[in-house]
Amino acid sequence: MRDPRVHDDELPEPLDRAVSLIRDEPPLRAEWRAAVLAGLPTHEIAPPPTPRRQWSLSPFAAIAAGIVCALAGAGATLIAVNAHVLATVAPLVTPTAMASASLHGPSSVRFALVAPTAVHVSIVGDFNRWNPAALPLKRSADGRTWEIEVPLLPGRYTYAFVVDGRLARDPVAPEAASDDFGIANSVVLVKGS
Amino acid sequence: MGRSGSSWFADAVRPVVTRGDARGYHPVEMTDAVLARLTRDGDESAFATLVDRHAGACLRFATRMLGTLEDAEEVTQDTFWRAHRALARYDDQLSFRTWLMSILINRCRTALLHRQRRTARVVVDDDAVEHATVPSTASDTELRDALERAVAQLEAGQREAFLLKHVELLSYDEMSGATGVGVSALKMRVQRACERLQDLLEDDRHA
Repeated sequence: MRDPRVHDDELPEPLDRAVSLIRDEPPLRAEWRAAVLAGLPTHEIAPPPTPRRQWSLSPFAAIAAGIVCALAGAGATLIAVNAHVLATVAPLVTPTAMASASLHGPSSVRFALVAPTAVHVSIVGDFNRWNPAALPLKRSADGRTWEIEVPLLPGRYTYAFVVDGRLARDPVAPEAASDDFGIANSVVLVKGS
Repeated sequence: MGRSGSSWFADAVRPVVTRGDARGYHPVEMTDAVLARLTRDGDESAFATLVDRHAGACLRFATRMLGTLEDAEEVTQDTFWRAHRALARYDDQLSFRTWLMSILINRCRTALLHRQRRTARVVVDDDAVEHATVPSTASDTELRDALERAVAQLEAGQREAFLLKHVELLSYDEMSGATGVGVSALKMRVQRACERLQDLLEDDRHA
């Protein structure tokens, strides 16, 4: 198992040394620089957009509108979440997101995903350098669930499933990383005992 | 006597000026955000400073994405012109380099799509080698050239992610903002690129 304390930014040798050799910037040609500056449009920069006029509301109307919007949003979110879970995965696996481990050794954490129509499922995360080939899941006896047990040291790991080549977050993980602009990652917390 | 005394006095009170850079002081550099604001206010010399500050990195990235310095200069020039026109939309709370890179990445993708001829691209920039700050031994030169050949063989998406991460040294968040690709997908691309590069370097070593 790879030590999760090794940072993802680190490169193995000799790749690390080779990359350090290609970080030099090429010199700027004076003619090219002059052409760039000469080609700049003059006085064409639009001013920053000014904020639109704010409509004023009475405090009571604003509060009432806020309550209505919050209720509508909560209802829509509830419907969307339920639809998503029912369509893809049954909430089968609760212990995946929180596991305990000895302070001195790894803990075996079971990941599972219900994906009856999938052909290949693997898991990627901080614990395997996001390598989709490293940890393939096995289809369980029921034919619907994909499972794997991963030994993990105590810590916080973000991860996602790769279902037939497409990333998918764990729908039953209780926490999602907020630093993703695309598919949100799931998070597993492995606590020391 | 008097003249001599006057001369001595003049020498004694003449301030001894030591250049700031000799003392290790450096003039305060204006931030990219300030330069962008000055450009918006019509100060073209401020934009020239931005060009001088970021063009090298843009050319470095584009050269490896497109294969030749000539193509890189073309898309980088276009990038700066587009950035200048769009400066009103630049949010100076964000990194100017990342914002500029997002434009450059799109220009490179477009150039790759429109490229008619597809030839093997091996980049060995003699000028860059000459100006290299890292001492180059024969083995370093061979290693660098081997990596250049290997990078050129990567699939475009992997090459883009690898260069942004390990050559341009962007964070995954910055990469995601610049490319429009999710962090998870970028991490996988970088990982796959690293594995492929290691294999290619190994093959090259045994060739």
